[in-house]
Amino acid sequence: MSGHKDTMTDRERVLALLDYKKPDRVPIWPFAYQGFACVYTGTSIADAYNKPKISYEAQKKTCADFGWVFTPMLGYAAYGGWELGGEIKWPSGEFAQAPTVLRHPVETPDDVMALEVPDVKTAGIVPLLKEFYDISSKEMLPNEPFNVMAFGANMSFTLAGNISGPDKLCKWMLKKPEAAHRLLQLANEHIIKLAEYWKDLYGVDGVLPLGGEPTSANQLISPANFEKFAMPYIAEVNQKFLDMGYKHLYAHICGEHNANLPFWARIPQGNPGIISIAQEIEISKAGETFPNDIILGNINPAIIQTGSPDEVYEATKKNVEDGMALSNGYVFSPGCEMPPMAPVENIRAMSQAVFDHGWY
Amino acid sequence: MASEERTSEILDKLRQAVYDFEEDDAVKWAKTALEEGVDPFVATLEGLATGMIEAGEAYNRKEYFVPELLMCADALYAGLDVLKPAIDASGRTAEVKGSIVLGVVEGDVHDIGKNLVKMMFEVAGWTVYDLGKDVPLDKFVEEQLRTDSDVVGLSALMTTSMLAMPEVIKRIRAKNPKVRILLGGAPINPEIADKYGADGYAKTAGTAVDEAINLLKMLKEEEGRK
Ligand code: B12
Repeated sequence: MSGHKDTMTDRERVLALLDYKKPDRVPIWPFAYQGFACVYTGTSIADAYNKPKISYEAQKKTCADFGWVFTPMLGYAAYGGWELGGEIKWPSGEFAQAPTVLRHPVETPDDVMALEVPDVKTAGIVPLLKEFYDISSKEMLPNEPFNVMAFGANMSFTLAGNISGPDKLCKWMLKKPEAAHRLLQLANEHIIKLAEYWKDLYGVDGVLPLGGEPTSANQLISPANFEKFAMPYIAEVNQKFLDMGYKHLYAHICGEHNANLPFWARIPQGNPGIISIAQEIEISKAGETFPNDIILGNINPAIIQTGSPDEVYEATKKNVEDGMALSNGYVFSPGCEMPPMAPVENIRAMSQAVFDHGWY
Repeated sequence: MASEERTSEILDKLRQAVYDFEEDDAVKWAKTALEEGVDPFVATLEGLATGMIEAGEAYNRKEYFVPELLMCADALYAGLDVLKPAIDASGRTAEVKGSIVLGVVEGDVHDIGKNLVKMMFEVAGWTVYDLGKDVPLDKFVEEQLRTDSDVVGLSALMTTSMLAMPEVIKRIRAKNPKVRILLGGAPINPEIADKYGADGYAKTAGTAVDEAINLLKMLKEEEGRK
């Protein structure tokens, strides 16, 4: 046991980091814990996505029970498939973890050229997002640095991939670049309308625009194509958010993006930006790439589910040591979504390792 | 009949067309192969398929990525479409190396890796029964029985969906203990594959086919011993 005593709330810790100061200890701010929260509190994974009130309460209780920064979140990686005119299904059964696109809005390059961005207010999950943010914006708890995590920044390429299916976007980049660029423009058009909608409803204070980029990982595309097709579109949207008055943006850099990092470094994220990295990126590498930003990361989520409590504790401890060695601000988080089926003992071990070793 | 020199030129053009993902060239040179009397089997294996194997190697070296591989596959299939009628007309059947039922387990839509695995099996001359993604568990059992395939390949990319694997394996074994089961996907490793009761694991699409061939060899040896 560390014998240290908290002198700051989690809200104060994150606000200190945003002000380029070190907090008393490393805050724990896991990325995307809505599925885990619903399983932990005895509801279902689908509730995390389509029952805003239940999802909000589950996340609130989970953060309180485990000593985490509370950043109520709703959103999903396949976003765009439904919102731009296709269909999804909600997660059901024992093994599903998130909504799944059943039918993409476009099949052919001609479909892309003909597609128009539907009214954002009624698009796909947006009404549920609004319902969720309406609830979350009503209170600001002592463990809450932001109470609206507005979906939309840092996700243009993935959204475009969800409109056509990533395999088609991949092919069009090489052989029908005009269709690929059009898809990305449509993605951005949608996101920019969404951003304006959020600003009208919730303003900028206490609001953190966020998103993630799995589909532009180097597991799929080359750094050259990231530079051409992902970077400019993400940068355009992010700049729009910043121009609207948001001070910080949150990027979840999902999957193996090592060769893309020089291009990520050129995308505006605010001052400081909040950069959540996957387990495939070294913490020190992230620190060098984003010298002015806060780094969140990055133990392998699979360990949290499949490891023993000791393994989780050790992995977390090592991560905290690496993170605290950075000159950047550092927040502990898994490298991706908190696995919904993770055993509670492992989650306790994870938090405990930060409580024991995370003191500055 | 094309001369030996001309034949090797045509094969090389076919290989190159696939590697450079030039669909039109693949079609053009496949037609040329037929017109000039190149054996369509040879054109397929030593031309088109060789190009695809080289593309797979470029992927392992991180020179090619998923888009490039998908385009190479399109060129490969375009060339095959031209050669296929001649292969069928010859009355010879290509030696089928094995057959595999392949799919991404229930709850999981990550199918890009599985699609690459499928391509590599097809290139290697296997018959692939692709069930797609988010496949209900019993579908694997039914499809294996329907097709009497040698191998079932399961893919999962999430720690949640990966939990479906031991259940599928149990159900397949209950109906047909002889089937060989191969696992893959980012969260899987040899230990997990073993713990789940699978017969094999491959980290990449490139090594998946070799692993499957090994499994079949082992199966034949076991049967030989009986
Ligand atoms: C692209 C991607 C997506 C895309 C998928 C698009 C598609 N149609 O496939 C989208 C955006 C839709 C997506 C959604 C989600 N994703 Co995702 N995604 C990824 C990412 C970045 C890359 C996966 C990929 O395509 N890799 C490229 C291919 C070529 O590689 P591969 O799949 O590993 O396949 C190779 C080998 O594994 C092997 N192989 C594969 N299958 C098989 C089968 C056999 C038999 C064999 C022998 C070999 C083999 O061969 C392949 C080629 O070499 C991974 C990151 C990662 N670390 O994998 C996360 C990842 C898989 N996703 C993750 C998550 C959490 C999600 C979501 C749940 C998020 C959410 N809450 O919405 C949803 C789930 C949706 C659903 N219902 O399934 C997590 C899973 C964490 C966990 N619990 O384990 C990962 C691991 C990210 C992370 N850093 O943790 N995602």
